[in-house]
Amino acid sequence: MKAKLKRIRSDWILYLMLLPGITYFIIFHVIPIINMKLAFEDYRIIGENTWAGLKHFQVLFSSPAFMDVLQNTIIISTMKIIFIFPIPIILSLLISEVRSGPFRKYVQSVSYLPHFLSWVVIAGIWISFLSPDGGFNIIRNFFQLPSLDFMTSKDHIRWVLVFSEMWRSAGWDSILYIAAIMKISPHLYEAAQLDGASTFQQMRHITLPALATTVVTVFILNLGFFMNAGFDQVFNLMNDSVISKIDILDTYVYRIGLLNGEYSYATAASLFKGAIGLVLILGTHFLSKRLTGKGVW
Amino acid sequence: MKKIKFLLIALLFIGLLAACSSDEEPQAEVTEDGKTIIKVAFKDDGPSNPNAVKYYETLAEKLKEDKDLDVQFELLEVAQGDYSEKLSLLLNSGEIPDLIYFQGGDQQIANQDLLVDLRPYIEESEYLKDILQPHNELRLDNYPYLLWVKPIDYKVPVVRQDILNELSTADALLADPTIENYKSLFEEIVETGNADYAMTVAGDIAELDFIFENAFGINQTWLETDDGYVFSKVSEQEKEKLAFYRELYEEGLLDNQYLTKQWDTKEDAFYDGKAGVIVGTNGKVVDFYNTRVKEVNGEEAELAVLPPAKGIYQGFGASDVTKESRGVAISAVSPNKDLVFEILDYLASPEGQQFDRLGFEGEHHNETDDSIELTDAYYSDWYARYWEPVDVEFTKPISEETPMLSKPGLESEQLASEYFAEDNTFILPQESISQWDAMENLYREYSADIITGKLPLDAFEDFVEEWYAAGGTELTELANETIK
Repeated sequence: MKAKLKRIRSDWILYLMLLPGITYFIIFHVIPIINMKLAFEDYRIIGENTWAGLKHFQVLFSSPAFMDVLQNTIIISTMKIIFIFPIPIILSLLISEVRSGPFRKYVQSVSYLPHFLSWVVIAGIWISFLSPDGGFNIIRNFFQLPSLDFMTSKDHIRWVLVFSEMWRSAGWDSILYIAAIMKISPHLYEAAQLDGASTFQQMRHITLPALATTVVTVFILNLGFFMNAGFDQVFNLMNDSVISKIDILDTYVYRIGLLNGEYSYATAASLFKGAIGLVLILGTHFLSKRLTGKGVW
Repeated sequence: MKKIKFLLIALLFIGLLAACSSDEEPQAEVTEDGKTIIKVAFKDDGPSNPNAVKYYETLAEKLKEDKDLDVQFELLEVAQGDYSEKLSLLLNSGEIPDLIYFQGGDQQIANQDLLVDLRPYIEESEYLKDILQPHNELRLDNYPYLLWVKPIDYKVPVVRQDILNELSTADALLADPTIENYKSLFEEIVETGNADYAMTVAGDIAELDFIFENAFGINQTWLETDDGYVFSKVSEQEKEKLAFYRELYEEGLLDNQYLTKQWDTKEDAFYDGKAGVIVGTNGKVVDFYNTRVKEVNGEEAELAVLPPAKGIYQGFGASDVTKESRGVAISAVSPNKDLVFEILDYLASPEGQQFDRLGFEGEHHNETDDSIELTDAYYSDWYARYWEPVDVEFTKPISEETPMLSKPGLESEQLASEYFAEDNTFILPQESISQWDAMENLYREYSADIITGKLPLDAFEDFVEEWYAAGGTELTELANETIK
């Protein structure tokens, strides 16, 4: 104990720097977890909340609308994990192969840019681009393909969510992988080149194995947010024709919980979401540990 | 030393607990110079808005001058974003101002007895009781916590006068606005190249309904039949209405991208000449459209207001009288309830109306010996935050040179008031809200798919079946028990 205190005293500046981060997590992450008890209570603004037991969960699970939005959330999240997760890895591998400094910087800046746009702006861009007389349909018409109204098509709208999210986040998410690639010793590549390894072989035998820990960690952490299928995105891209395909848990909770002031109901839905995220994180972590020896901790 | 520290901490805790568990009535807060502090939460009127600060400072001065009331307003900053959501979060945090403007989300607060029943106050009032509009009285009877004295808020169709003058079908429509005459006008707008499509709406068909729903026989939310009340959206009349909208869509008269239109892109389509007709809330909004369309297309583009379609009935729809959808409320836990109402009553007086509706003297209006002249700043910047009764009295008449509303703005207000009709809908029980949400979504999706041709018209029967299965049967039973 004394040794620990001594170490803290000698590194007090480092601990001081840690303090704002810890305070942030306590206020915005730990205290809300404690307040999740609201899911088991009826909320009152003035006075004590009253105990409601599992009432809100019963209402939640008995609602057919909830089951539909849950299904949409799982489908959209799965599509995003499968199709979006590998893109930043591929992009980082491609960017790391670009030799020209200015061109590399240009590519990186252009790919990061959409991350800084709000979903209101992105929705405007995509709605215009995918409209029957928008840019994408002009390209289709050039190849003698008929125009399609992607935004109101039940068959395409989930793909619109996947591709618009991919466009927005691929560049930004690749930063982590680019940083991991830059940490790889250049000597390894030099040695491989001397042994006659091709660019592809260097990527396969040096870069990818070095990226494995980062990829696994990011994947497991991403799974924790599996049930967050993208409120802002769906809210801005939804229209009457595609409600049944992209109405997700978050938009449902927003309508029923926040707009109608049903806070306990909204908390019950969020707790359910959080519980699934926790199970997914722990499950994937232990599975990954067993299979690859790598996990989050 | 340790004991002293322990004692101090214990005392601090006891003090805190005592403060938290106090059952005493809240005391009115006063400033050092004896003014009562009135906390206000109002959309866009936070302390960071200099216009709002000036408004409430001037109001406080006028209250002192005209009523000898010593008040100081404290504006609360409601976070940016959806107002009803952010206000709801503010109130649920326990911060309940004396005077609150709601734009939804009030029912949950009223259910917890945190809003004042305004009826006894209004009965005793000096001015407010005389400016209530018929719809206000009905709504107050059903839900006495919100007050919003404004003209009835129907949306009315408008078209550019210069385009209307060119159309041979215009006279027939204005003389007899049947569904057929409306369609002929729409066809001519497109055929003559005056617009790409005759009409656009923002995202759903609610705006189209303002023009056509009555003509198809839908004059209330619950239609009376021989077998009792039937929800209008599952009626045969609804099917006929959807068939007509489908026709408009197929023939390119209704904007084929209306589903992805927002209010701003809808307005842009009208100003840019892509859409021939749009609807706008009567009064100030039509006035705003008129100013904007003339800026873009010249003076001759002044708006003309069109009447609602005539068929089985004629009107802009039935107005929900279960409650105000927005309005001002007084906190039931406020120590200043009487004073807050006195302020609201003052705003209904000739002096209060002159200030709230006409703005600052010398900036938004100028007083001459016998009249009030409005300035350009009035038309571009000013809006009444509180009451806007149709018949208004100021200390002097408004100069005929500078009317409060443009011709189309005034016409739209008169037309809306002429067609006021009461709806028979009722407030849903809180536990049915998630069910209602699912049923509404079902309608929105089926109606959109039928209109856009993704589903055949016969799919309406599937929708009716699904709607009843999703809770419509219970809701219809409730309606038949509730509606007298």
